[in-house]
Amino acid sequence: MAAVIALAAFAPARALARDASTQTAAGTGGIRGRLVLRRTAGTNERRPEVSDPGAGAPREPADRRRGVVYLEQAPRPAFDEREPSRASMDQRNERFVPHVLAVMVGTVVDFPNSDRTYHNVFSLSRAKRFDLGRYAAGKSKSVRMDRPGVVRVFCDIHSHMNAFVLVFAHPFFDVTEVDGRYELPNVPPGTYSVVGWHEGEARITSSVTVAAGAWAELDLPVP
Amino acid sequence: MRLVALVLCVVLAGDARAQSLPSEPISVANGRFVFGGEFFGTFGSEDPGFFDYNDYEYNALRNVRLSVSTEIRASRHLQALAEVRLEHGDELSAYAMFLRIRPWPDRRFDVQIGRVPPTFGAFGKTIYAYNNIVIGQPLAYQYLLSLRTTALPRTSDDLLRMRGRGWLSDFPIGDTSPDAGVPIMNTSRYDAGVQVHGVVRRIEWTGAVTAGSLSDPRLGDNNGRPQFAGRVIAHALPGLSLGVSAARGPWLDDSLDPALDGVAEASEFVQTAVALDAEVSHGPWLARAEWLRSSWSMPALGLPAIEAPVVARSLIVEGRYRLLPGLSLALRGDGLWFSDITGSGVMDTWEANVRRLEGALGYSITRNITAKFAVQRNRRDGGRVRHDTLLAGQLVYWF
Repeated sequence: MAAVIALAAFAPARALARDASTQTAAGTGGIRGRLVLRRTAGTNERRPEVSDPGAGAPREPADRRRGVVYLEQAPRPAFDEREPSRASMDQRNERFVPHVLAVMVGTVVDFPNSDRTYHNVFSLSRAKRFDLGRYAAGKSKSVRMDRPGVVRVFCDIHSHMNAFVLVFAHPFFDVTEVDGRYELPNVPPGTYSVVGWHEGEARITSSVTVAAGAWAELDLPVP
Repeated sequence: MRLVALVLCVVLAGDARAQSLPSEPISVANGRFVFGGEFFGTFGSEDPGFFDYNDYEYNALRNVRLSVSTEIRASRHLQALAEVRLEHGDELSAYAMFLRIRPWPDRRFDVQIGRVPPTFGAFGKTIYAYNNIVIGQPLAYQYLLSLRTTALPRTSDDLLRMRGRGWLSDFPIGDTSPDAGVPIMNTSRYDAGVQVHGVVRRIEWTGAVTAGSLSDPRLGDNNGRPQFAGRVIAHALPGLSLGVSAARGPWLDDSLDPALDGVAEASEFVQTAVALDAEVSHGPWLARAEWLRSSWSMPALGLPAIEAPVVARSLIVEGRYRLLPGLSLALRGDGLWFSDITGSGVMDTWEANVRRLEGALGYSITRNITAKFAVQRNRRDGGRVRHDTLLAGQLVYWF
């Protein structure tokens, strides 16, 4: 449930699309389609810890089927100042949930710890360097994402825990569904470069023209 | 050699920035084969006092190591784990190799058979550079004592004569050629045997029966009797764990039996060790401490006799503070203190007491590439070199 709230609340384009269903705001159009993954990413395994006297607790692997689709360059009004919002990336069963989060610049991302053990969230990414230190279950710490870019998030204690926060300067982005479906509503008419991104490893760019009052269909096959 | 290692380090660092090196374990066949690895190069100043040697030839502060570990998940019940190392640039060895059996997949109860990781103590993992908050290893886990498994002092004078000479000691009984002594606990190789591990709520326990001893882990038995070791960790609170360890097993090699001339058998003389440890962490702080005591019994072969068992005690205290994201400051202080024995008209500790203080600054270039710089001060109450200050740098890459 928390993950659903997180995705809905922190992917503005997706939230608007849900309201509009197949409609977009007056005078605008939309882009939709699928990010098609030809091969799935690895399963985010634990390191082979030969120095441990036993195996760790069983855990679910992170869901790495989702990607992000966004406009490479957005129309100018998209950069207008907006109310800062909040997003959440939970730490549960030694994984970050959701595994991929997309937010706008200025968003404050909460990192609650829902496990019994300590976690230590940090990132050394150029877009945001931070280290929240070690904190216990039930506690939460926050980071304001103040520059666009890809923020790779890790736990200093559990090396198999990692996630992505993609920070955008405009609202035209969407975290895909597990089957790759995405929607970018309320896009002003024009021709745009659309980028499909997956796990920091795959990136595809394609051009599309948006007409007022219509959806442009665009599938993005990731090589 | 050093130049090659340095070039390799720089190339690795450059490549990693370009993200051409793996940043997480390599998983093949849907997770059935998982590979991890660690590479590090350590470049330290001369160590004329042999404070950091873990072998007569090899200094822990001057090492280049590439290790690759693998886990083969045959089923939910059975995995095979191994680690192969290329150490000092030319020594290839199978550091670990064991089967892990989990009878009930959803319960944390494992049986490990083969060359298994240490059961005793909290600092065994410092052998891995990415787990070590400084560069050097704790004295109890690395510093070479004068004791040897294949040679024995006849009298207490023989033992006192070797104070501070663990890097190359010699005794008149058994193998009389000079060779390196043993540390309290040797982490440079794993012992072979059976290990059982379980977790019940906040209690984690491990027991093992192995061929060697803490000081001399072995692939094959060398005295006909096993070592028994156990450890219990209580995860009392999030961020706080308390541990207790114990081990007991024969430590002398049976090649000494002829020299003992029927007086006793090598397998009758045991190393007995106990340890208490604690780890606490919160926010940017991490602190660990361990106290341990080890004794070695040995035969009285001449006068003045050694009042066996000889005893060593150690205290290790270390802490790390995260100054900034990716930048941390760490400090470790530890020491070895030894029991007294009486020689010809003199009473002294059977080994020279040693103290070490090491501070290190660590900077993570990326999550899995870290550069460390350390200053280490050693003091010893005996031996040819009584103190020295060493500088060291280390580059670590792991996935």
